[in-house]
Amino acid sequence: METAVGHYSRTRVTYSALRLSVLQFLADPQWLVPSMIAPVIFALVSFQLFRGAGPYFLTYAILGAGMMSMWGQTLYGSGWATGQDREFGTLEPTIQAPTPYLYVVLGRVLWNVISGLVGGGIVYAVILVVAGGPPPVINPVAFAFLFVFVMVTLASVGVIFSAFYVYTRYAGFIQNIGEFAFYIGTGCMFPVVLLPFYTNPISLVFPPTWGLDALRYLSIPGYHGFAWGFWWDLAGAVGTTAVYLATAGFVFHRVERHVLEVGNLSYY
Amino acid sequence: MTTASMVYRPSFWRTMWTNAVMAPRTSLGFMRVDFVLGTVFIIPLTQMVFFAFVVQLGGGGASAIAFTAVGNAVATITYSSVFSVCQTTDSEKQQGTMEHLLVTPANRFALYFGRGFIPILISLATVAVGLVYAAVLFGVSIPLSTIPTLIVSVVLTAFAMVGFGLLLGGVALYLRTSIILGNIFLFVGLLLSGVNFPLSSLPVPLQWAGDVLPLTWGLEAIRAAISGDSLTSVALLWSAVALAAVVSFGAAVGLWKVFERRALSTGSIARF
Repeated sequence: METAVGHYSRTRVTYSALRLSVLQFLADPQWLVPSMIAPVIFALVSFQLFRGAGPYFLTYAILGAGMMSMWGQTLYGSGWATGQDREFGTLEPTIQAPTPYLYVVLGRVLWNVISGLVGGGIVYAVILVVAGGPPPVINPVAFAFLFVFVMVTLASVGVIFSAFYVYTRYAGFIQNIGEFAFYIGTGCMFPVVLLPFYTNPISLVFPPTWGLDALRYLSIPGYHGFAWGFWWDLAGAVGTTAVYLATAGFVFHRVERHVLEVGNLSYY
Repeated sequence: MTTASMVYRPSFWRTMWTNAVMAPRTSLGFMRVDFVLGTVFIIPLTQMVFFAFVVQLGGGGASAIAFTAVGNAVATITYSSVFSVCQTTDSEKQQGTMEHLLVTPANRFALYFGRGFIPILISLATVAVGLVYAAVLFGVSIPLSTIPTLIVSVVLTAFAMVGFGLLLGGVALYLRTSIILGNIFLFVGLLLSGVNFPLSSLPVPLQWAGDVLPLTWGLEAIRAAISGDSLTSVALLWSAVALAAVVSFGAAVGLWKVFERRALSTGSIARF
């Protein structure tokens, strides 16, 4: 006789994970720092460094710090959550549950996107006050849409990282080491074309590189990014994000099966 | 019958040495090759490269890039000296060892100073590697004649920063988590300590805030040593860094004593 498996809803699991993330954030707002305070400091530092370089450099500072805010949430939030699950002993029951772990991560990533956007808003407000006015944006509506899309590209990287973190006990190490490396590689505060040419292929592996370049083409007149221009940047961002999300689904499926077979999930 | 005089008291040096050896393996979580290699070799490089490109985009020339490179080479000291040391309180609470620690008769100064010993060594290595990067990759000129004064400046800075980390750890005793404090002071130095631009370009109140941070004085001493300033002017800065170190260590021990007394009377220290 087959054992009856309890009914589960993926939407409900995603919603529950999202709700739990919000509650955890409110109960212990330590992630406020990487997602909001640190980006504000980075924005102020870059504002100071760009002072006198022209009005559009404000956009660089806001975009870069906004992305850092989201990245802080993605890298620290998603990654740390898996590590915490492992430490608290809740990773095994979560993976053993009939709902795919991907939907638990999805709920967390959704919260990361939301709080990243809030962080971006705070960065914008601070720069607005410090600079004494908003930066000139040619097409604000398109800019807003594209900014949200860049957050989604970052979330896709976060999902892949989360899958990887299930396997490793070095999540903390990767987070600390990867932070500035990722900022450089994706050109969050400066165009990637400033980097040596041979590093460009590595940068292009990451969806936010494409998205940020497109965003700058849209908002900064005379911007010199990748030679192929805005539309190919946008296509690249959509394409790489789709690949990341598809890979994440596949990897999560494999990771879950593998750790259940090997039974080494709680090693750390 | 046991009397107070019969209670075993470990010697000052033994307490210090035991903490110096054990804390990095337990509450500080230092004794991992990945952590040491990452902190000493990778973080300084990536942070320096990042800010160098930001300066370049903002139109800064070679001298501005060199300024930023030295600043960030020294600022990365914060990871090992402030961030990690400050988190020791969290680790003790989470591992359930805080209460046991507080009821030991060990000398507190030896205990805390011992904990800072390995972080001081790692901080020295971090700044040394950072300055090598600055010289090799960013064209910062460090004349051989300035090395002795540079070494003194770096050592004093490492002591002061670890003292500051312990001070924050003391404050964190009373908080639910120390990670917020650690994170704030990890980054705030980039803005207020003259890491990426001269402190004088900030509004006066922010300059005052920067003056409170040991990193500001340490960095100024290191910059003065590199540029070959007279021994008298460098010595003045050394005094400021040493004062910051003494104040930090003293305040850390004082804070721990206050919170300890409070914890023992209310039994609330391990709550988090």
